[in-house]
Amino acid sequence: MKHVIPKTYKEALEHLSEGTYKVLAGGTDLMVKNRSWSETPARFKQDMLYIHNLDELRYVEDKGDHLAIGALTDYETLLRHEAVPKVLKDCLIEIAGPAIRKVGTLAGNIGNASPAADGVLLLYLLDAQLVIERKGARREALIDDVITGPGKTTLSNEEMIKEIRLPKSTFTKTQFLKVGGRKADAISKVAFAGAVRIEDGIVKDLRMAIGAVNVTVVRLREVEKLHTGETISAVQDSIVSIKNAYVPHIKPIDDQRSNRVYRKRVAFNMIEDFIMNMHIQD
Amino acid sequence: MKTKKDISESIRKVDSEEKISGRAPYTSDISVEGMLYAKTVRSPIARGVIKNVKLPDMPEGYYTVDASDIPSRNVVSMIYEDWPVFAEKEVNFIGEPIMLIVGPDKETVMNLADNVEIDYEEKNPVFDFSNSGVRLHFDKGDVVNAFERAAKTIEYEYETGYQEQAYIEPQGFVGYIEDGGYTLVGSIQCPYYVKNAVMDTMGEDEDKVRVIQAPVGGAFGGKEEFPSVTACQLAVALKKIQKPIKFIYEREEDMETTTKRHPSKTKMEAALDEHNNIIGMRSRIGLDGGAYIGLSGVVLSRGMLAVTNAYTIDNLDVHGDVFLTNTVPNGAFRGFGAPQMIFAIEMFIHHIAKDIGEDPYVFRKRHMVKQGDKTSTSGTFRDPIILDDMIQKAVEISNYHDKAKAYEDRDTYKGIGMSWFLHGCGFTGSGESDIIKANVKLRKDDEDNVHILVAAVDMGQGPKTTFRKLVADILDVPIEQVTFNYPDTRYVPDSGPTVASRTMMVVGGLLARAAKTLKEDWKEGEEQTVVKQYEQPDYVEWDQDTMRGDAYPAYSWGVNVVEVEVSKVTYEVTVTNAWSIYDLGKAIDERIVMGQADGGQAQGIAYGYLEVMNHENGKLKQKNMTDYIIPTSVDVPKMENHIMDNPYPLGPYGAKGVGELTLVGGAPAVALAIEQAIGRKVRKIPATPESIMELIDNG
Amino acid sequence: MAKVTFTLNGESITVDEPLNMRFLDILRMKLGLTGSKEGCGEGECGACAVLIDGQLVNSCLLPLGSVEGRNVMTIEGYRKTKRYKILEDAFIEEGAVQCGICTPGMVMASESLLNQNPKPSEKEIRIALAGNLCRCTGYEMIFKAVKRAAKEGEGLW
Repeated sequence: MKHVIPKTYKEALEHLSEGTYKVLAGGTDLMVKNRSWSETPARFKQDMLYIHNLDELRYVEDKGDHLAIGALTDYETLLRHEAVPKVLKDCLIEIAGPAIRKVGTLAGNIGNASPAADGVLLLYLLDAQLVIERKGARREALIDDVITGPGKTTLSNEEMIKEIRLPKSTFTKTQFLKVGGRKADAISKVAFAGAVRIEDGIVKDLRMAIGAVNVTVVRLREVEKLHTGETISAVQDSIVSIKNAYVPHIKPIDDQRSNRVYRKRVAFNMIEDFIMNMHIQD
Repeated sequence: MKTKKDISESIRKVDSEEKISGRAPYTSDISVEGMLYAKTVRSPIARGVIKNVKLPDMPEGYYTVDASDIPSRNVVSMIYEDWPVFAEKEVNFIGEPIMLIVGPDKETVMNLADNVEIDYEEKNPVFDFSNSGVRLHFDKGDVVNAFERAAKTIEYEYETGYQEQAYIEPQGFVGYIEDGGYTLVGSIQCPYYVKNAVMDTMGEDEDKVRVIQAPVGGAFGGKEEFPSVTACQLAVALKKIQKPIKFIYEREEDMETTTKRHPSKTKMEAALDEHNNIIGMRSRIGLDGGAYIGLSGVVLSRGMLAVTNAYTIDNLDVHGDVFLTNTVPNGAFRGFGAPQMIFAIEMFIHHIAKDIGEDPYVFRKRHMVKQGDKTSTSGTFRDPIILDDMIQKAVEISNYHDKAKAYEDRDTYKGIGMSWFLHGCGFTGSGESDIIKANVKLRKDDEDNVHILVAAVDMGQGPKTTFRKLVADILDVPIEQVTFNYPDTRYVPDSGPTVASRTMMVVGGLLARAAKTLKEDWKEGEEQTVVKQYEQPDYVEWDQDTMRGDAYPAYSWGVNVVEVEVSKVTYEVTVTNAWSIYDLGKAIDERIVMGQADGGQAQGIAYGYLEVMNHENGKLKQKNMTDYIIPTSVDVPKMENHIMDNPYPLGPYGAKGVGELTLVGGAPAVALAIEQAIGRKVRKIPATPESIMELIDNG
Repeated sequence: MAKVTFTLNGESITVDEPLNMRFLDILRMKLGLTGSKEGCGEGECGACAVLIDGQLVNSCLLPLGSVEGRNVMTIEGYRKTKRYKILEDAFIEEGAVQCGICTPGMVMASESLLNQNPKPSEKEIRIALAGNLCRCTGYEMIFKAVKRAAKEGEGLW
């Protein structure tokens, strides 16, 4: 097996074009998954590309209509950047602890594609566009279209995420609510992110994303659209039908961290809590 | 004239600097020239018979070590002898050790271990409480009569889960051959437990086994009896291979295969007279012992003795069982059976009060023990009890009554809970005098430096500092003139294990006596040695067969108050504040005691609401630090702790036990707070968000 | 095997080891720097924490391949600094050390915090230490130690 530290992003794409490499960014997921006995090397099953020191992929740039985040930008850096939306920061500060946040990246979170990944939840909420490149080609895709299941993405072996774009939006209220086993250093049992923009009592933009309740993050754009343009009270009066719309999609599992009954109940509580309090501004 | 400082006045801990700087050599930091590495091959099934073992081709220099290599007995000598060093014919839990693979290259060792093929004939495993391995009973007064004349009886059942010690440093030893004998350096609480077990398994004399304590990165009971298992395995390997071996557990291995706090089920039944006084109580406790009994019988015993906690109940009937199941053996953990029972009794007494419509605070105070009362085992509370003052203080600093009233409004989803409790200091019953027979030694060299020679282990709780402080204070010499090295059985006598909140009261007490003798007989510039042996206080009478008499020479006391908020959306608990008051006789160093108070409370509260471990068909579901949740810095509440002096005449400067006391009351205090916040009776811990949701739904 | 060059405690160093080795093992085994501890091996406990370019990172999750060109500080280097002395003194004075296995990591986390925020509130201290598990102290005395260090070491950070 080959282990390579590319010197430039261009060189990284060059290696990737061979189709045999796995990209390691922060390593916080891959090093755990491929853990071996201490004092022995990690048991990776394919060629590895260590891109951690490609500083050219570390940037946060305000592009007017969107925020461009380089793939290797770590959570701690995002937390300190003024242009990063508050709701994303509310989420990031609850991810693991500082030492993990210093190497953890949104791109890595996407690559890992865990349904319980908090960062990914926020990317769904914020309509994140991913810039994905391979040698000589580039595509852009909505986050929903890249993650297809637990640990599954549409990224090919030759591709890597170069940049994450967050379209600018204005919200009158946002919410990130996560239940972990404890208040830090915890993988979500269930997590919720919501955002709304209300103007003159009319709901102009409504978004809700729920994590760890299905194989991918649940975001129902059609339900959100249905209630866009309604008055606050009209939306709140529809709480039963809104929750009903989510019923087929909230299908959590039992595991070592929680159980399906609890996850389901709390997911609906979170939806209701957000809808019924969406008029109370931050 | 200089006035002597009060002994409680804090000094800087003597071993902090080497720990902070990273210089302290913990077991895994130790390397020995030419050492090999050992990895354990384990049973993947909960119960079965080994039919066939097929080894991979073993390269030169790689070894297997199994039951057939044991020179003497295939049993780990502890209080009850049923735990094999290596499984030989049968396996009884998932993860049970079958053999070691030992060799110089870790990757090769690992691959060899992965390729050992073992065929089993599987048998039906037992997981329920049906197969009793130890049964104990005691009574007091006439419980039959009490229930016959009762105006009312009330019954509840309580359940507690596993708790994992979760010390940050996993189990480990480094072993080597020295002068034809076996030297084991490790992360241990009880050097002589290890030494005696190894001597027994190896059939070796005392001078062939040397055990040295390395700095211990947390233990909490988890390094009480368990290290004897790995030490025996390592000694067998050393004999066969005759080369140094490093044997360190990985975190998952440690969590999946080492002892934990016993899950328990307790049935409580109270008889009340027409004035709503408890006149009798029946209680039946069951502990899940796991696959082997080990220390479980003793854990059960301490649990049963705590059945009435800090209440006086005249008529009692108490049954207990350790049930054998095909799960990892459970064992010692700070509190040793008491946390399960204190949870049950504290909840029960509140539930009785609630059922009869009386203010629990008033009801509990009415039943509280007073000096001179009989203990659960018909012994006597001889020493002054200051629990009333302690409760008063706890109530004041926590504003308990006002909050308890305000939080009766369910919409607040807030609650406050108060537990009060005792903990017996030292070994149960006649253990100190019949089994342990502690010896301590003080040696003065010809430069008048005094060396403390005891087997007590500093695992963070501070005896490296407090023993030196104590001895220096009595001798009236600077602390620098007194040394206390990590215990090495070559040099130190058996002062007993570092367990049961006995270190300061018993070992420290003996050291104080030795220091007094040395002082009286001090000959400048001459070598002198003083030895002291434990003597049972005259007044202690204990009958082990009937479990009657004074179970402990002294008791420490505590009050915990915990305040919580429960989320209406997620049912998560936020512990906002915690207060505690302790009577531990006299603090030999106040800050060290406060450190125990903070840490013990954090563990005790977390036991009540946060720490979840369970198994599915014998396989533990939480097997690493990601899934087994212990509190982080953002989970612990703001804590305020106080100590109140109440010197015990036979303790050094009046000191009693500390370590376990600070844990045992946390779970009921937090459970009672949650109970108030949600308006439902909590009968099972940990009270997780999942179980809180169920309680709110179903009551 | 591959050559990786980085700065370790102020000096440039090159090691020739597999890139998929954990940096923690490189430190402990190859370089004999055992001040960084292994508690969990999966980034939960922080006992292995070191500073990379001044910020806290868990060395058990860091493959050697990620260290090329980086500036690494471990407790062995840090303990030679003035800031360390302030923290050491504060940890001792406040009783923040019990078993000690988490302490070097806790000190590195404190340095990382104070470096970015010389006057942290208790809440900020709690958040900064949330990736470093301690099973002995209940953290209270560690919070006090960090506060004391911030005060005693004013101007150093």
